[in-house]
Amino acid sequence: MTQINLHELTHLQAINKKLVTGYHISEQDTLMWQELDQHIEQYSALFSSLGHDLQHDSRGFYYFASDESTPNMGKISRAIALTVYILIEHYANTGKDPMRALFDEVNDLELMQTLVQMNKHLFDQLEIFSGSDLRKDVYLRMIRLGLAREVEGGFMLQAPVYRYIDALMEVNEETYLGEDE
Amino acid sequence: MIPAKKLLNTLTEHWGMLELLFKRFKMADFSLKDVQNAIKQKQPTWSNERIYKETNRLLNQDIIIPLAKSSQLEINRAIADFATFLLQEEHLGLAQEISVLVEDLARLGNRLANAGEIEDYDELRRFSRIMDDRVRKIMKLFAHNENAILNIVEQAKANNAVQSLQKRYKAVIEAFDEYIEPMLEMVDIRGDFHACFSTIEEQISTQIVHIERSGKAYQDKRMLEQLRTRILEMHLVGRESLRKSADMLMPLREELRRNNMITRQAAKVLGLIRKNGVDNMLSSVQPHFVSDAQRFSLGQQRHMVAYMAGLVEFEHSEYELPDQQDVPAYVTPNIPDYNNVKTSFKKRFNAKRKKPEPLLTFLGESYPELEADEMLFLYQKLVSDTDIEISQSDEKMRVKIAGQHFSLFPFNTKPVDPTHNQTGNE
Repeated sequence: MTQINLHELTHLQAINKKLVTGYHISEQDTLMWQELDQHIEQYSALFSSLGHDLQHDSRGFYYFASDESTPNMGKISRAIALTVYILIEHYANTGKDPMRALFDEVNDLELMQTLVQMNKHLFDQLEIFSGSDLRKDVYLRMIRLGLAREVEGGFMLQAPVYRYIDALMEVNEETYLGEDE
Repeated sequence: MIPAKKLLNTLTEHWGMLELLFKRFKMADFSLKDVQNAIKQKQPTWSNERIYKETNRLLNQDIIIPLAKSSQLEINRAIADFATFLLQEEHLGLAQEISVLVEDLARLGNRLANAGEIEDYDELRRFSRIMDDRVRKIMKLFAHNENAILNIVEQAKANNAVQSLQKRYKAVIEAFDEYIEPMLEMVDIRGDFHACFSTIEEQISTQIVHIERSGKAYQDKRMLEQLRTRILEMHLVGRESLRKSADMLMPLREELRRNNMITRQAAKVLGLIRKNGVDNMLSSVQPHFVSDAQRFSLGQQRHMVAYMAGLVEFEHSEYELPDQQDVPAYVTPNIPDYNNVKTSFKKRFNAKRKKPEPLLTFLGESYPELEADEMLFLYQKLVSDTDIEISQSDEKMRVKIAGQHFSLFPFNTKPVDPTHNQTGNE
């Protein structure tokens, strides 16, 4: 049994507040990340007794795992997934190294407009009709979830986006067809 | 014959320009104009005349030579090689180059053994020298290729967003497939290469033993020993160099493979999404997030489970909704306005306050048409009205209002000396 010393967990309140809203704490959130990193055992013991499942991803982020989303969150998550996959395709089409560009390039409004224009019928399904819709409905929410950070002139994606890439690799025709039956 | 020193001076003087030409045209040809432009770029202060003179000097000294039957020029191959060496601009050689040399080495080893057998020491020395030369060449190739691979890796790693992924990694893939893999196969401990070296080593060792025994050509023993050491070293160096090269290339290759996989997968999934719709396709795989709101709602499965568990205790009971006929028709109560009642009450009792009069009597006289409950409602209102002076009687009375009997301590209007009343419904 891990001893939980609440006095040691100085950022507990801040961390809890962030995590319960679905936020991913990554290395860019220096203070909280270090705190979690140092007392990971205590934190995960504490959170699991509170009914949360604190996950540490070795690519550098912490989050609460959940096996279901509320319908609204589900919709947001799908929009983010679509955006990430379209970004990968877009970078590959423009001859960039998609994985590098995904994390190194600033996503500005112009890029968002291009993405929406080129994939209009996909974004239409999610009621995203313009670059500013994409910014509002996807990028700002990604910030709230810790998947991106705002920089000068746009947004940059962060390590937790790997969750979507993992999900991407999980998709194959069989899973889809299997579900259909 | 051009004196070497003169040539070197020219090279030093024009090194900047030569480097430019070399980098720009690699091994391809160029025109006289290109040379002059290059000189101009490096020496912008020079006059055209001077440039013309310098170009001629380069041509005269065979640093730049005209191509046969063409007005195009090229850098003298010897100078180009020298520049390659100086600039470390090495291009990856082929695995075959090395394997040809190794085969040659095996052939020479046989010749050397034959020469040893017939005790032809001149031949022995000759082959030993040639073999030594081959071994040096192989070692040079190893070093050269290692540098070339380093260059490839550095180029691939350089964050050059302009260069396409395909192009950047092409060199890596080629290097791996055409050099590293065949070479690794070759130096594998069970491969031909290894067997060949063992044979050569054995042959040389036999010769050394033979020389030791016979005592002839003793000075050649040292040479053979050196050759043997060098071959062993070469083998070792080769393996080291290959391992290093493979280590450098491997991560890039993995990265590329992964990137390719992700890109392909993204394209495939997007294709499926286009065909089947966003929600259909992504609902099953999207990552889930904890959200604060859902903890307070029945959104999650575990909440549903908890809720269902609570329902186990629930017992269903029949409840019959009333029929239309069962509902009695609504009758508006015909209670007179209380204010009117109060006014008429005051009017009546203000004048003659000689003896207490029960409130109910007053009500019964004033509103004979009222129902008992309506009468009591007014009674209660009057009793609780603070404006009216009333008192409660001490003795219980039986009163009949609107056909109903009540026993109560009735309130009466207040006489001069107070009597106590009290209420108490049936």
